[in-house]
Amino acid sequence: MFLALREIKHEKVRYGLIIAMIVMISYLMFVLMGMMIGLANENKAAITTWQTQTVYLNKNANDNLSQSLITSDQLAGHRLNRHESLVGQAPVVLTKANGKADKQSAQFIGLDPKQAIAKENIPLASGRHAHHADELVVDQSLRAKGYRLSDRVRLNSTADDYRIVGFAKGAQLNVAPVVYGRLATWKTLRGVNQQVVASGIISNQLEGGHRFDKLARYTSQEFIQKLPGYAAQNNTFAFMIGFLMVISLIIIAVFLYILTMQKMPNYAVLRAQGIPARYLIATTIHQAVILMAAGICGGLLLTLLTTWLMPMTVALVLDWPLIALMVVVLIILGVLGAFLPVRMILKIDPVRALNG
Amino acid sequence: MAVIELKNINKTFGEGIGRVQVLDNVNFSADRGQLSLILGPSGSGKSTFLTIAGGLQTPSSGSVTVEGKRLGKLTSKDRDQLRLNKIGFVLQSYNLLPYLSVADQFVLVRKVKKTGNLPDAEFQRLLTELGIADLTKHFPDELSGGQNQRVAIARALYPNPEIVLADEPTAALDSDRVKVVGALLKQMAQNHHKAIVVVTHDLRLREFADHVYQLMDGKMIQEK
Repeated sequence: MFLALREIKHEKVRYGLIIAMIVMISYLMFVLMGMMIGLANENKAAITTWQTQTVYLNKNANDNLSQSLITSDQLAGHRLNRHESLVGQAPVVLTKANGKADKQSAQFIGLDPKQAIAKENIPLASGRHAHHADELVVDQSLRAKGYRLSDRVRLNSTADDYRIVGFAKGAQLNVAPVVYGRLATWKTLRGVNQQVVASGIISNQLEGGHRFDKLARYTSQEFIQKLPGYAAQNNTFAFMIGFLMVISLIIIAVFLYILTMQKMPNYAVLRAQGIPARYLIATTIHQAVILMAAGICGGLLLTLLTTWLMPMTVALVLDWPLIALMVVVLIILGVLGAFLPVRMILKIDPVRALNG
Repeated sequence: MAVIELKNINKTFGEGIGRVQVLDNVNFSADRGQLSLILGPSGSGKSTFLTIAGGLQTPSSGSVTVEGKRLGKLTSKDRDQLRLNKIGFVLQSYNLLPYLSVADQFVLVRKVKKTGNLPDAEFQRLLTELGIADLTKHFPDELSGGQNQRVAIARALYPNPEIVLADEPTAALDSDRVKVVGALLKQMAQNHHKAIVVVTHDLRLREFADHVYQLMDGKMIQEK
């Protein structure tokens, strides 16, 4: 550690540039990861707050809740238990009845007020739950768009007015705010006949048996993975982060290789003086760890600054356990990068010290 | 008993028509308290002699003994230990790390060799003798060639080795500096009871030597 620190201290510009490079890479990785988690949350937050364990959809719905329609025939002979809720999903455009706010795209979720989700799984940020058919609970992000409690709003081009009575926490689906209302409203919005009862059934219990044999059954994870664009988006981010990790490995390896090559005459002298190769190897590995740690700290600071400065509308969520894991992985990559120069150190011929 | 002894040393490089015999049946020994000078022109085999004496490379035939231990029988790790504990090198390139201050050059030795180094009082006396006691905060690139060479000598002596091997220690020094360095090496041999072996083509160092050898075409002849 002594040699590693002294050299970094003496060669401030050289090592500063390497650290700056690692700062930028780790910053990019943390921000990308934050966006990946943020966007994933905006895709599935509502599903998580419903404590979804099992989902039933129409077999021909292509795994998509908004394209699924369940009819009363498909439920014939079955009664929903206390863990199950009928859910109707429809994309809507929300506008203030007085026209004094921008139009907002949202996901309407129609619920039965006597079932599990409406009764237990809509955590409120402010206001209250809906008690009447013309009352809505909407995602709290809509406050930033100018919507307030008691505002009268319209859904699509229907003539009916609805009143916002509550703002919900974590009410987002398919990267859009959720508007909670009644199943009857959903039927009106979709224009379906009376035989259609909902888009799907959400159960907050992991149901092992296939309770509704005329419907397709999914676990929560299967259902989330099949959300439109969810897997593709996550894979894209994961690949970007993976590539950045490989790039950081290459950068640290190349820089340490070049620096070690420049130090070979010095190392040859030290080897001639009997300084063990393991001391020089430890110095190189310590240097890699110090450079990575300093760069990662810089990257984290920049990321925190970014989250602080970023507008609320940008989906950036810092998952600290995941960041800690990424920090460990980056440091391990730095140590792996140090193995390239380690081979050179092992092969140093101390005779070079006398040959200049 | 000689602290270092080289017996019937031969060293060849290459094979067939390209075969070069750099050292030809060289015999040499040195005792504590003596300064031995090995003179020879460039290409006479001086550096090869020094690398074999210091255990940095092995001879084609013959034996090197340091304090009764035959280097040929030691492992590479043991030879590292021997160099660390028993042999100090003073090199033409000063053997100083450019990114360590003078003080830190010695801290590095302490980090690797935790015991057996010069006690503090003796170390301070050595720095004063060499005239570098006030330079400990400086980096090598802030010092003159002569100052660097004196730091390098202190660096070689700090682990308290039995033998100091010096390679062209006066290269690039003016005559006044050569006298200072020559006197210092002599003083180190006598006052600190070291066997000091200097290979050089600098004839100005002759006056300080207890023994002078000529190395010519791989053969060594003692002349003093």
